[in-house]
Amino acid sequence: MSDVKLTSVQKYYAAFHALRDIDLTIQPGEFVVMVGPSGCGKSTLLKSIAGLSDITSGRIEIAGRDVTRTDPGERGIAMVFQSYALYPHMSVAQNMGFGLKIMKRPRAEIDAAVRAAAEILRITDVLDKKPGQLSGGQRQRVAIGRAITRRPDVFLFDEPLSNLDAALRTQMRVELATLHKRLGATMIYVTHDQVEAMTMADRIVVLRAGRIEQVGAPLELYRNPVNHFVASFLGAPRMNFFEGRLRDLSAGATLEVPGLPEVTIPALAADHGLRPGNRVTLGLRPEHMRIDGRGVTTPATLRLAEELGRESVLYADAGALRTTGSDTGTESVTLLLGAGTPPPEGSTLQIGFDPADAYLFAEDGRTVTAPKSAP
Amino acid sequence: MYPRQIPETRPVARLAYAACVWIVLAVWLLPVFAIMLTALRTLEDVMAGNYWGWPDRINLWGNLVAVFTQTDMLRYFLNSLIITLPSTALVLILSTMTGYVLARHRFPGATLLFATFIAGNFMPQQVFMIPVRDLMVSLGLYDTFGALIIFHVAFQTGFATLFMRNFIAALPNELFQAARAEGASPGQVLVQIVVPLVRPALAALSILLFTFIWNDYFWAIVLTQTDAVKPVTAGLANLRGEWASSWNVISAATLFVAIPPVVMFFLMQRHFVAGLTMGAVKG
Amino acid sequence: MLRTRRSLRHRATPALLLAPGLLLFLVVIVFSALRTFWISLHAWDGFGPMTWVGLSNYAELWGDPQFWVSLRNNVIWLAVFLLAPPMGLAIALLVNQKIRTMRLAKSLFFMPLVLSTVTVGVIFVWFYDPSYGLLALLFHAFGASPPAVLSSDTWVTFAVVFAALWPQVAFCMILFLAGLNTLDEEIIGAGRVDNARGWQMLRHIVLPQLRQVAFIALAISMIGALRSFDIIAVMTSGGPFGSSTNLAYQMYQESLFSYRFGYGAALATVLFAIMMVFIVWYLLRLLRDERSA
Ligand SMILES: Nc1ncnc2c1ncn2[C@@H]1O[C@H](COP(=O)(O)OP(=O)(O)OP(=O)(O)O)[C@@H](O)[C@H]1O
Ligand SMILES: [Mg+2]
Repeated sequence: MSDVKLTSVQKYYAAFHALRDIDLTIQPGEFVVMVGPSGCGKSTLLKSIAGLSDITSGRIEIAGRDVTRTDPGERGIAMVFQSYALYPHMSVAQNMGFGLKIMKRPRAEIDAAVRAAAEILRITDVLDKKPGQLSGGQRQRVAIGRAITRRPDVFLFDEPLSNLDAALRTQMRVELATLHKRLGATMIYVTHDQVEAMTMADRIVVLRAGRIEQVGAPLELYRNPVNHFVASFLGAPRMNFFEGRLRDLSAGATLEVPGLPEVTIPALAADHGLRPGNRVTLGLRPEHMRIDGRGVTTPATLRLAEELGRESVLYADAGALRTTGSDTGTESVTLLLGAGTPPPEGSTLQIGFDPADAYLFAEDGRTVTAPKSAP
Repeated sequence: MYPRQIPETRPVARLAYAACVWIVLAVWLLPVFAIMLTALRTLEDVMAGNYWGWPDRINLWGNLVAVFTQTDMLRYFLNSLIITLPSTALVLILSTMTGYVLARHRFPGATLLFATFIAGNFMPQQVFMIPVRDLMVSLGLYDTFGALIIFHVAFQTGFATLFMRNFIAALPNELFQAARAEGASPGQVLVQIVVPLVRPALAALSILLFTFIWNDYFWAIVLTQTDAVKPVTAGLANLRGEWASSWNVISAATLFVAIPPVVMFFLMQRHFVAGLTMGAVKG
Repeated sequence: MLRTRRSLRHRATPALLLAPGLLLFLVVIVFSALRTFWISLHAWDGFGPMTWVGLSNYAELWGDPQFWVSLRNNVIWLAVFLLAPPMGLAIALLVNQKIRTMRLAKSLFFMPLVLSTVTVGVIFVWFYDPSYGLLALLFHAFGASPPAVLSSDTWVTFAVVFAALWPQVAFCMILFLAGLNTLDEEIIGAGRVDNARGWQMLRHIVLPQLRQVAFIALAISMIGALRSFDIIAVMTSGGPFGSSTNLAYQMYQESLFSYRFGYGAALATVLFAIMMVFIVWYLLRLLRDERSA
C-alpha cells in the first residue's frame, strides 16, 4: 500500500501551467524531499497535496483514500509552513491543540497530546507563552508540535528551516530526522538546501518548471542524473560543463572539446542515439578533477583557492577550455581537492580527469553515458 | 525623520520651536476658545457686548443648567446614544463578516462588489435621500429610531467593509492555510482566528463609526420630525433658532454636543488616527 | 465528483456571511441611487402617483438660474478645497518634531475633525458675526468696518467654504502625518548625505514618497467638497436669497420644501454624475495600486 499517490496531477493558475502531469507514489514512512529552482512549483505541489489549492485535473490519494476533492482538514495531513504561521493570539499550548479542538476532542485528550508533543520537542516550559515571545528555533518547534498533535498520516513541510541561522538549522535537521524515525510517519519536505536534501531524504524529487525531472535515492540521483538539469542542480560546488562536438563512436565516444586533447568516454548508455558530429556537453564533478598530471590534462592558471580545512575549492583558468553555466558566473574550471595545502594562487597547474568519471549529455540534455555504479 | 529634528543639544531652540507651534495652534483653535469662553459667560455679559474679554462672572454651571432644564438637549443627547450605539455595534458585526469574505474568498464579481462598496461610500447622501425617505415612510419607520439606525447601518457597512477587508487581507495568508489544514471551517476561522486578530481594527473602526454617526445631521433632518427621536445635531441646529441671542446657552449646548466624540477621540486617539489613515476614507 | 456535505457547508458559509451586509447595502444604498435616477424622469410630490415626464426635469434645470448658482458654488467649493492638502501638509511638517509637547499639539490640531459639522457651523456663525465676532474684531483692529459676510451674496459662499475647510485641513494633516511616518529613513538619509536641504529635500525626496497619500488627500477633499451640505444648512440655509446653495442643498430644498421630488432627483442625478468622475478616477487608481501591489 502506498501512503500518497499522485496520478496525472495538473494545475493551472489562470493560463499559467504550474504543475504538469505529476505522477508520484510515496510509501508509508518514507521521507521524500522535493527540490528545484525557485518558482518550479514545489510549494504548489505541497499545497495541492494538502488541499490548500485545488488541482485542475488528476487524482490524489492519501492512505488509500481518494482525497482529490476533500477538505484539507480531512485529508489526514499536517503542514509546517516556512513562516511557521503560528496563531499570534493563542498560547503555545492553544496553538498546538487547535487542530484537536476543531475536531471537538475532549479536553483531557488535547492536553495529553499537547504535553506529549511538547516533551518530544522539549518545549514544555514555554507552553503558556505567546508565539511573539519565542525565539526562532522555539517557534519552529511549536509549528512542528502543532503538526504532531494531530497524528497525521502525512507531514508536509515547506522550507521549514529556511528562517533559522546555520547552527540552529543543523540542530533542527538532526532533530527532524530523529523525529521521523521515532514517529515512523510519512514526510514530504520542500527545501532549497542541498545538505538537507542529501542527508534527510529517502528519496529526492527534482522538479523543474512544474514537471518531475527525476525521482530517486539521494546518492543515486547524484551519481546517475538523468539529464543535464539534474546533474547541474545537485552537487555543490556544481558540476563543470564543457561544450564539445562528437567525432567518432567506434569505441566509446570520442569528442573534441576546445582546450582539451581528444577525449574518449569509455561507456555509453545503450540507447544513446548519438551520431558523429553531434554537439554534446561534457560534465565533470569538481571532486573528479585532479592536479596530479594523470588522465586527460591541460595547463591552467590557478585564479583562486578557497581553503575549507577538510578540503579546498580551486578555480582555475584553462585558456580555451571554458565552462558554461557555472555557479560563479565565470568560465573557470572548479576543482575540489582533499586535505592538504593547495598550490599558491597564480601558479600554473596541469588540471586533468579520468574519462571514466565523466558524464556526457546530448544536445537535448539527456545523459548518454552508461549508469555508474557505487565505487 | 523629516523634517530634520532639532537636536536635544539645543534645548533653547526646541523650546522656541514648541512655543511657535503652540502660537499657531492657538490661532487654529481660536473659534473653539471663543465658544468655550462664551459658555462661561452670563447673559448680561453677552448682552453688554463683552465677547472677547474675561467673563465678568463664571456662569458655566448656570448655562449648563439652562441647557438641561430649559431645552430638550438632554433628550436629544439620549436619542443620539440610542441611535449611535446599536448602529455602531451592528456595523462592526456585519462588516467583519463581509470584510472577511471579501478578503479571503475568491468569487466571481468580487472586484465589482468591492468597487460598489467604495463608490457607495463616496456618494453624496442626497443621491439616496428621496428613495430612502420613501422606503422608511412605506415601512412605517419614518420618524423613528429604526429609520436612522437602518440607514446608518446600511451606509456605514460600505465603508466599514472596505476597512475590514483591507485589514484582514493584510493578515498573513499562511495563517489561514494553517487553520484550513487543521480542519477549521470558514466560520471557525472567522471566530477563532480573524476576530481575535482584528481587535485593533475593530477598536479603530468603532470610534470612527461612533463619530460619523453621532455627527450626522443630514439624515437626522430628513428622516425625523419630532423631538422624541431627534438626535443632538438636529437639536442644536434648532436651538440656534429658538435661542437666537443667548449665545452663552448655545455655546454651552455646543460644547455638550461635542463632548462624546471629543472624549472618545482623546481616549482612543491612537485608534482614531490609525483608523482614518487605514481606511483613508471618510463617511 | 461528489463533494462531501461538509465541503458544501464550507462553500455555503461565505455566502451566508456576506448576505446580511450585502443585502442591506444593495437595498438601501445601491437600489436607492438607481431609483433616484428613475424618479428624476417623473413629476412627483412625494405622496401621490408619479407621472412620467421624460427628460423635462433636466430641461428645466438648464433654464433654472438657481441651478447655475448652485453649480458655480460647487466649483468654488472644489477650488477652495484644493487648498486643504497643501495646508494639511504644512501643519503636518510643522508638528512632526519629537519635542515633548508635540503629541498634545498634534491631537489639538486634529480637534476640528472630531467636531460635528453642525458644531463647526455654529462656531463659525459666531466667528463671522459682524457686531461681535472674531472677524469683526480683526477688522476693528485695523480700523475698518466689518462686513456681514454671511448676508453678502458675494462673500457668503467663501465664508461657508472656509469654515468647512477647517476640519478638512485637519483631515489632510492626519493623512500626511501618517505618510511622513512611513518615509524611508534610508532614502532620507541618502538625501541628507547628498546635501539636499529644505525645499529641495521636500520636492525631490519627500514628496515623491508621499504621492500616494497626497492623492488620497486630494481625492477625499474633492469628494468632500461636492458632498457638503450640513454646514450650508446650519450657517445660511442657502441664503441670502439662495446665493449660497450648492447642488446638494438645492436638491434638498426642492424636494422637502417645495415637494418637487422629481426635480430634486434630477439635481441629485447631476450631482451624482459630477461625483462619478472623481469616484471613477479614485477607483481606477486604487485598483491599479492594488494590482501592482
Ligand atoms: N496564486 C498564484 N497565482 C498565480 N501564479 C502562482 C500562484 N502561486 C504560485 N504561482 C506561480 O506558480 C509557480 C510555482 O510557484 P511555487 O510557489 O509553487 O514555487 P516554489 O517552487 O515553491 O518556489 P520557491 O522555491 O521560491 O518557494 C511560480 O511561477 C509562481 O509564480
Ligand atoms: Mg515555495
